[in-house]
Amino acid sequence: MSSTARLSMRGIDKSFGGVPVLSNVELTLEAGEVVALLGSNGAGKSTLVKILTGLYSRDAGIVEVDGQAVVFGKPADAIAAGVKLLPQEISVMPDLSVGENILLGDLPMKPGFGFKQVDYKTIHIRATELLAQLGFEALDTHQDVKRLSVAEQRIVEIARAIAGQARILIMDEPTAALTEQEAELLFAIIRRLKQQRVSVVYISHYMSEVFEISDRIVVLRDGRNAGDFVTRDTNKAAVLAAMIGATAGDLYPTEPPPPPGTDVLKVEGFGVRGKIADVSFAVRSGEILGIFGLVGSGVEVLGRALYGAVHSERSGQVTLDGRPYRPSTPQHGKEAGIGFVAAERKKEGIIADLTVRENIALPFQNRFTRGLFVSTEAETGHAQNWIRDLGIRTRGPEQKLRTLSGGNQQKVCLARWLVEGVKLLILEEPTRGVDIGARREIYGKLRELTAKGYAVIILSSDVEEVAGISDRSLVLDRGRVVEEFSRGVTPAALMAATAETQTA
Amino acid sequence: MATTTETAAAAPSLKRRFMELLAKPWSGVAMLLVFYLILIAVFSILSPFFFNTRNMLQIGLNVAYIGLMAAAGTPLIIAGGLDLSVAAIAGLTGVMISLLVGLGVPVWVAVGLALALAAAIGVANGLFTTRLKLNPLITTLGMMSIVSGIALVLTGGLTRPLMIPGFNWIGNERVFSIPIPLIIMVVTFFALWLVMTKTKFGRFIYAAGGNAEASRLIGIPVERTVIVLYVISALAGAVAGTILGAMLGAAGPNAAGSQLLTVIAAIILGGTSLNGGRGSVWGTLLAVLILGTLNNGLTLLNVSSFWQDVTRGVVLMLAVSLDQLRNRALGE
Repeated sequence: MSSTARLSMRGIDKSFGGVPVLSNVELTLEAGEVVALLGSNGAGKSTLVKILTGLYSRDAGIVEVDGQAVVFGKPADAIAAGVKLLPQEISVMPDLSVGENILLGDLPMKPGFGFKQVDYKTIHIRATELLAQLGFEALDTHQDVKRLSVAEQRIVEIARAIAGQARILIMDEPTAALTEQEAELLFAIIRRLKQQRVSVVYISHYMSEVFEISDRIVVLRDGRNAGDFVTRDTNKAAVLAAMIGATAGDLYPTEPPPPPGTDVLKVEGFGVRGKIADVSFAVRSGEILGIFGLVGSGVEVLGRALYGAVHSERSGQVTLDGRPYRPSTPQHGKEAGIGFVAAERKKEGIIADLTVRENIALPFQNRFTRGLFVSTEAETGHAQNWIRDLGIRTRGPEQKLRTLSGGNQQKVCLARWLVEGVKLLILEEPTRGVDIGARREIYGKLRELTAKGYAVIILSSDVEEVAGISDRSLVLDRGRVVEEFSRGVTPAALMAATAETQTA
Repeated sequence: MATTTETAAAAPSLKRRFMELLAKPWSGVAMLLVFYLILIAVFSILSPFFFNTRNMLQIGLNVAYIGLMAAAGTPLIIAGGLDLSVAAIAGLTGVMISLLVGLGVPVWVAVGLALALAAAIGVANGLFTTRLKLNPLITTLGMMSIVSGIALVLTGGLTRPLMIPGFNWIGNERVFSIPIPLIIMVVTFFALWLVMTKTKFGRFIYAAGGNAEASRLIGIPVERTVIVLYVISALAGAVAGTILGAMLGAAGPNAAGSQLLTVIAAIILGGTSLNGGRGSVWGTLLAVLILGTLNNGLTLLNVSSFWQDVTRGVVLMLAVSLDQLRNRALGE
């Protein structure tokens, strides 16, 4: 074998039901190298990872680890070969100790009382050694994992992978639940892993992270290799161009905002007990108001409280179109003319087993009801309109929503509210887990909607998104508004506004 | 090296094809239909008394009150609920009618009162499971115990006569030679099918069961939907109890209790997912007919009725396994 790469995947083909998902895909990884795997949703990233981790079998192609050809028939085969996936959702046993979690795969045993029993002393010694390799010998291995922060749980998970002799770590959106500082911690760990010759496949939607941590960037598009960049010799524009193809353009709409109209929603001294205090702002028709905050800042509560989906005690004055507005259920918000898209699309947004048509028509069933019965034709017509208008990629209105990509599911969630009478859209994390092509389309559509008179509030922990799309933006920190910016604010300024109060 | 890649590609194709078949929306009903036809063919060969109009109608009559409860339980399970008290309600209903008539209440007024009581029990089930967010399995198991306990207290555990002029026709008469209980069951299935597939309320049932939180966040009255379905289930239990009492001419405090398992088995066998969000009444109807046919056929073949409990249990566990496989198929 001439190749001595840690991992070499060549000519990988995979199709589902005759539809090719991967064709002739290649991915190589040197020892101690961090390769970022990028691509829109549906580009084939997750299929490639599933082949690498033994969840799917490949139709054709070669996979070699350290020059040895391998076939992973099941996930255990991949783990035995040193390939370990850290999924987006952290998977730890909350009621076991740190030490037990780390050595779960191979608990040290000792003889005693005539049978083998778990050797707790060795567990804690070895777990501490492994944590020391990552620079976290200070973490108490005796405490229960449920007492740890999300970031510390991530560390435990990584230590467990190292304990299992993992030489190739696949990290899928590892910073999804982490704060900025915690993410820095993770990057420090990844750098230590590199020193120990562990290779990392890093999957993320955040371009800035990718440029901070990776050595090389591999881009997939439509199931094929679309670019292979050495990180320090390239730039975001080049990578973005490879991801979205020939029609690369700016992610955010460039047309100027329409002249703002009258106040749609006015909030004065608004508070949610224990979460938010003394928040005041107004949003006008034709305007996109961005509200930026990190997790825990109140950004995950404010939007739903204004929609009526929060039970906690609220205070302050809210007026909608000049009339007092005190919603206590989502029905109130909906009837008052507010549309709401929740952050957690799978848990709170889509109804996976219903069709695209049923999902779109669901909130306003009365409008499709003729006499006693719902008119499927009316629903279909309405759904088809928005499938066309929003560019929802689906075989048709009768396709189950579960089979659509994240970006297209998000468009369906948005389409639900595009009916007469809705004048304000409250969108939480509108492009979380949405590929770059669909993101651009969603942003463009929001701009178009404001031109028609909609007011839009975006609540997001994605600083680039708030900076890019907002006509005006607020920064939320510890439940209070700490700064207000006008259009054209930089991501750095938004981030600085939260950092200031956190160090103060 | 080339050979290893080839085997990796070829091995899972049969299993995958089966899983893809399971993921099809019609796969459940189609499989049931095939199974039903096979069952009819087998029993027709084994017993000369099986395949004729009289026996077929007899099967329909035997399963009518079970089918009624299973029909109403289907949308409830789709919406994320579960009613284990339904068969106990049927028992209490017969007892109520018998006792009230004994006190001089006109029989149809007594039926009305029993229905009202059932509706109240349904509301209680609904409120406990939605407002207090209690587990429906435990809540309705408790309700089952309460309701059947009350029926036992009221009767002292004895079966009471229920031969009342102007009443028993509902269990025994036929219209165009079709038994009235069978007609009631079929009409109920048809009405529920209409409601579930053609109305706003029907959309809410599937939405609530598919994703309750998402449904709540788009302003769908999830709790009210589920409460109404508990009431419908309890009412179906009461109607089933009325029909059963009229058929037997007697009201036992636990007349339908042994059929609770059949009701749940039929719903699950019919392809309704225990996780909610998926299912249809036609699947349930086919499953009711299959279970009834199994019973009837085995009886004609002189198989002990004790064995029939075993068969029903096996069929139920097969159905649950199939449901689990289908979930996995849909997940892929």
